Amino acid sequence: MTGSFKTGGSASWATALGPLAAFAVIAVALPFAFAGNRYLAFVIGVTMIHVTWTSGMNLLYGYTGLMPLMFAGIAGISAYTVVDLTAAGWSFWAALPVGAFAASVAGAILGLPSLRLKGFYFTLCSLVIQTVITLGFVYFAGLTNGDTGISQIALPTLPGGVSLVGTPYDLVLSIAAVASVAILIAIVRSSLGRRLIAIREDDELAGMLGINVTGYKVAAFFIGSMFAGIGGALYAPYIGFISPRSFDVLISMNIWLMVAFGGRGTIWGPVVGAALLAPLAFLLQDYYMVKDIVYGLLIIAVIALMPGGIASGLTVSRKVSASVARLNAEQRKLK
Amino acid sequence: MSNANLIILLSTVSTGLILGAVFSLVAVGVTIVYGSIWMPNAANGQFFVLAALVGWTMTVSWGIHPAIAALLVIGTSVPFSYALEWALIKRFYDVPNRNISYFVLSLGITQILTGVFTLTYGRWADQFQLPPLVTGITFIGPFPMANNRLAVLAIAILILIGLFALLRFHRYGRGLRAVFQNRDAAALRGVNVKASYRLSFALGNAVIFAGGMLFALAYSFDLTAAWTMSITAFAIMIIGGPGSVLGALIVGMVFGFTQAAVSAVASPTIAAFAYLGAMLLILLFKPSGLFAR
Amino acid sequence: MTDVLLKADAIFRRFGGVVALKGVDLVQYRGETVGMIGPNGSGKTTFVNVISGHLRPNSGTVAFEGRSFAGRKPFQIAQAGLTRTYQAVRVFGELTVRENVATALVDATDPATPDQVAELADWLRIGHRQESPAGSLTLMEQRQVELLMRLVQRPRLMMLDEPVGGLSSAEVRTMIALLAELKTRCTIFVIEHTMKVIRELADKVVVLMAGEKLAEGSPAEILADQRVIDRYLGSADA
Repeated sequence: MTGSFKTGGSASWATALGPLAAFAVIAVALPFAFAGNRYLAFVIGVTMIHVTWTSGMNLLYGYTGLMPLMFAGIAGISAYTVVDLTAAGWSFWAALPVGAFAASVAGAILGLPSLRLKGFYFTLCSLVIQTVITLGFVYFAGLTNGDTGISQIALPTLPGGVSLVGTPYDLVLSIAAVASVAILIAIVRSSLGRRLIAIREDDELAGMLGINVTGYKVAAFFIGSMFAGIGGALYAPYIGFISPRSFDVLISMNIWLMVAFGGRGTIWGPVVGAALLAPLAFLLQDYYMVKDIVYGLLIIAVIALMPGGIASGLTVSRKVSASVARLNAEQRKLK
Repeated sequence: MSNANLIILLSTVSTGLILGAVFSLVAVGVTIVYGSIWMPNAANGQFFVLAALVGWTMTVSWGIHPAIAALLVIGTSVPFSYALEWALIKRFYDVPNRNISYFVLSLGITQILTGVFTLTYGRWADQFQLPPLVTGITFIGPFPMANNRLAVLAIAILILIGLFALLRFHRYGRGLRAVFQNRDAAALRGVNVKASYRLSFALGNAVIFAGGMLFALAYSFDLTAAWTMSITAFAIMIIGGPGSVLGALIVGMVFGFTQAAVSAVASPTIAAFAYLGAMLLILLFKPSGLFAR
Repeated sequence: MTDVLLKADAIFRRFGGVVALKGVDLVQYRGETVGMIGPNGSGKTTFVNVISGHLRPNSGTVAFEGRSFAGRKPFQIAQAGLTRTYQAVRVFGELTVRENVATALVDATDPATPDQVAELADWLRIGHRQESPAGSLTLMEQRQVELLMRLVQRPRLMMLDEPVGGLSSAEVRTMIALLAELKTRCTIFVIEHTMKVIRELADKVVVLMAGEKLAEGSPAEILADQRVIDRYLGSADA
């Protein structure tokens, strides 16, 4: 048994790119398939935005093990930035990178101090930061129009002066979704992904092996926040109305739920989660109290069904956790 | 000092005392549950409002006397807690890092209750006002103080003193504190750990319900009080030190006065920014809190 | 043997009211195997935690290959060539052995080549388990994985905290044999609380008692040292 220890990449590229290609085909076909039914096409468009968002949340929660409840707030920072810039005359396409970058920087800065905190304290800190952001959106009404929200949102324009609306906009959202998943796949399969997974599994051990844990957490925040920001920027003109409620803690929770529900630590699980839960949220929009109840129940169901609690996620193999538990017990007996 | 200023001062002091007592009650309730079963309850504000809303229904819709309604509300919190414990809470007792599972679980409960409230009470009224416990006014110097609010303040303080005595001196209280410090050692000393978990969950919630009912008797409220209370209670608990009842008491009173004082000169939003900021500072620089054991 | 690898001077570390390390000095030369023994609670693991950067000493200095480690984070110390294992074996349980090793390689300053990795895996006799989740392995196999993860980083000093803890007698023999070979590839520092392992491996033994260095010398000197016998070894042991 010699020389056969592989150190190279994990599964072959075919297994990763197969589903991505399939998703790309479906995502691009859907806007055309539903071009006649504006309502359904819109639901699909909103779902695609959520796929972009869940990719970012997945990077942070599924692969780095952090639960950042200020995710929606960061998306909101990008959304408000883009809306204010386009209202001042900027082209949407110039404002988009500015908004996304603002989101990334905000995310990295806001995430930074909390990186020393573990588990619950980190989540609580992120919750507080989200609350401060929401309060900020309400308070600084000069920039955000406060609780009333902003409803005259300019549509992006294409070369030639045509507004981006309807099927072309749906298509843009689909492309963004596919790109998000593709980028996530690339990251996860890279050495950055390996470091983030190590950080998720045991960040002290990761540090001991030479991985700059804090630095890579900030990097994860930067990238994840960029996904939040791009989604937020695309969301505002598409929906046509934003308010502080559009980006509050319940939205962060819902995006988290899509990742947790779909399966943490997988690429496609959260996509499935978004595909299931985003239309649900939209269809229940007019009955948003019912939506709250349904989502609350789903959150409880997801937590209750995780055998080892949140830290282990839904994809834990029972055999491994049983073996680990047995070993820990053996070691404790020998002390 | 002119009479007008004196009245403003006394008004602020009285509001500060009542708010402080109510905040302390809720924060102590949250701390008891966190310290014993390691459950940070983000839904505490929803429980607070639930108590207030049920109290409203009892007094306004059914015509029950506020004092009796108060006892009923606090009483029904016990089977409510036991049911919740049986259905959801107990399955996590042996899970490592259960505090984060509980935290997210409580966020789920928060979302459910938010929906339920908006669907029901939210349709019926914007503001809720309960009839007073006692009528009449007492004058403190030039300042007219509603007897109702005096009664609420007295009751709140009595409950706080009672809780403090219970935890410090009584056998059950000592058992609870033993479990706070060290669960395995307490079990070895014969404390029935699971039963004390149930008891502390029920006690903590009962205290929160009491806080909600008392607040509703003193002031009118709306549904946004839920989220505000949750954040405030967490801020108090974190700053005072998670698991420290004394910390919750002291910091709660400070918060009450700060809220009253700041609301008198600026807006409540500024107050919210202030204690969120304080909470962040503590989380980042001294996570064990100011009164940590 | 005159090349000083690790130099710890007057390390003090206090936890609240308890002083865990009271001015401990240590010099380790490249190629010299040092063993540290002492009863539970004497400060051995605290010492390793200070050297590896997990804890700041309240006072005292640590220098590795002549360069000070003051203020360095654990990942920087690991990248500088000093690594450690844990008393309770610690691997990424959910990842396969191969993924564990890949993680150890990702930020190593001087990583082993793929051929060298394969050779190390074979030498440690763990290569056949590369696709198994590390958490499903036996304790001995996990200790082997731990060693493999350190070795592929080609460290210059490995500090091993109770490497035979929890192993059966046969496994202890295997581990001692492994470590005897290991010390030819990399300087090691072994912590144990019995002389059993250390007497066979160590060139120099340091006895730690209540945070202070009680004695230091060759295994034979330590076993004959009356102070050590009276206060620690007693009649049992060795």
